[in-house]
Amino acid sequence: MRNSLIALLIFAALAAAPPVIGGYWTGQLTGYLVYGLLAISLSLVWGYGGILCFGQAMFFGIGGYIMAVITKGMVLPDITSSYLGLIAAMAGAALFALALGYFLFAGRGISGAYLAIITLAIALVLERLMNNWYGLGGYNGLLNVPPIKLTFFGASFELWDRVPTFYAILIVVAVIFFGTTALLNSAYGLRLTACRTHPDRLASLGYSVLNIRLSVFSLSAAIAGLAGALFVTLDGFASPTLIGFTLSTEALIWVAIGGKEMLLAAFLGAILTRTAESWLSEIFGDYWILILGIAFMISVVLLPKGLLATPLEKLTEGKRR
Amino acid sequence: MSELLPVFLDVTSYVLILVLVALGLMIVFGMMGVINMAHGELFMIGAFVMVAAQGAGLPFLAGLVLAPLVVGFLGLLIETALIRHIYHRPLDTILATWGLSIALKQLIVLSFGPESQSVTLPLDGTLTLGAFSYPLYRLVLMAVSAVLIGGTFWLFIRTDFGLMARAVIARPTTAATLGIDTRRMYRWSFVIGTALAGLAGALVAPIISVDPQMGLGYLVPGFLSILVGGAGALAGVLVGGAVVGGVGNLLAVWISPVAALITVYILAILIIRLKPEGILGGRRAK
Repeated sequence: MRNSLIALLIFAALAAAPPVIGGYWTGQLTGYLVYGLLAISLSLVWGYGGILCFGQAMFFGIGGYIMAVITKGMVLPDITSSYLGLIAAMAGAALFALALGYFLFAGRGISGAYLAIITLAIALVLERLMNNWYGLGGYNGLLNVPPIKLTFFGASFELWDRVPTFYAILIVVAVIFFGTTALLNSAYGLRLTACRTHPDRLASLGYSVLNIRLSVFSLSAAIAGLAGALFVTLDGFASPTLIGFTLSTEALIWVAIGGKEMLLAAFLGAILTRTAESWLSEIFGDYWILILGIAFMISVVLLPKGLLATPLEKLTEGKRR
Repeated sequence: MSELLPVFLDVTSYVLILVLVALGLMIVFGMMGVINMAHGELFMIGAFVMVAAQGAGLPFLAGLVLAPLVVGFLGLLIETALIRHIYHRPLDTILATWGLSIALKQLIVLSFGPESQSVTLPLDGTLTLGAFSYPLYRLVLMAVSAVLIGGTFWLFIRTDFGLMARAVIARPTTAATLGIDTRRMYRWSFVIGTALAGLAGALVAPIISVDPQMGLGYLVPGFLSILVGGAGALAGVLVGGAVVGGVGNLLAVWISPVAALITVYILAILIIRLKPEGILGGRRAK
């Protein structure tokens, strides 16, 4: 359980961050936490589920659009509850993933490189679709998405300020992170590993490989959908870039650099890459993207487990001995 | 009929270029199982070699010779420095070449700027036959592409190199046992694939908008063509390219280009899902 000790330390450090880093960076970090949630979802489906999805942002975007449509009152003007929006965003993304997953994995199914290319093509299709869906704002997207409104027993509180927003999102991310970790440590996690490494043997033991794949695909989509829903409330708008190809591949880079087979490493990969990006892109200007591309290449070739996962694993193993 | 003919010719020229791009991808994918996500960027660099050559006052033909040489050499470097180390991890090649594509794209942005460049047409005449007229360069482009595609098929089907290459594709270990240097075959196939992309880029540079982002617009249709046609036989690329490029461009005449693109991607995804071995059949991906 060293692993969760380190995770607890990291979340404690994040919780202590706002007074130290000031208002502007707290706002930035809130966004990075949401990206971290997207990274967690990708790590779950790719690193643990063995499904290389090149379009993870489609679930993020679907969640974001559903949240925007509901909280703006575009569906039912009287019901604009943030809770309903979050639940619908997760459910919508999960249902889409379920249908897509059934199409992709049932029967002979497709996997590996074919799956990567097909999910890439689907993300491109969805991005084009949203760019031209004028009912949902088209290219400009949906503006003026309200912030999250928390209501407990009649009292309500809107998350406008940076610091309360940060803590609300940190709590959500922590719950999802530790929940997913617990799930992966359970028998389900074991089945997932078996499904990734030896699907034929798992099938011969009487498990349905299809059901396991569908469950992890949908679960990861629900998490990505939640991340998307949180994201639109931060920036106040939902645009086609949320659903598309660029964000999908960025998420892949964070997770690959961090370490896809370790939730914590993937999460930190997103946060650290984004932080580095906002610092270093000022110093290096346009060279930053070049550096990122090269760093990504090197980390894939030399450290297939990820730049952060390798030292993190050392840390946990070193203490065990 | 005289209205449909130019449309048909436009579609054919797009399909031929797409096939040329996809052929390079296919050689690399079919032989080594390597998904080269940077292939679109190599195509784009071919076009920029042409831009640079014209900027330096060189004739069009010189650009056409330089582009495959420069891009082929780049391919040699990429194979030596990157691909060689990850042959045994096919899925990681997707990620590594994706990193490469980001780096190459940004390198071009840094040296040429993000805006689109123009390349002057080497032949600005039009061919007129009665009521029908068509830009001469596009006809030349089609002829050259067709010859190049034919030449690549000839190389892989009729020559000793091609025989060895196909042996390596079909049975890598047996081929190696029989004394074929598979490492060398991989390297030169990769170089041929990249050089083809560079040449294709230089060829189309005068008739499309040349900008650092142009690669993706050919990479994804290129991959879909391979998978639709079937990754087993080289001829699959012809079928796949005709379906993906042809249907999309023909539809764009009647419905909006965006709707056409969405339709053709969905059609391709359906075909790949229902018939993973492709229209022509053959082997599934490793």
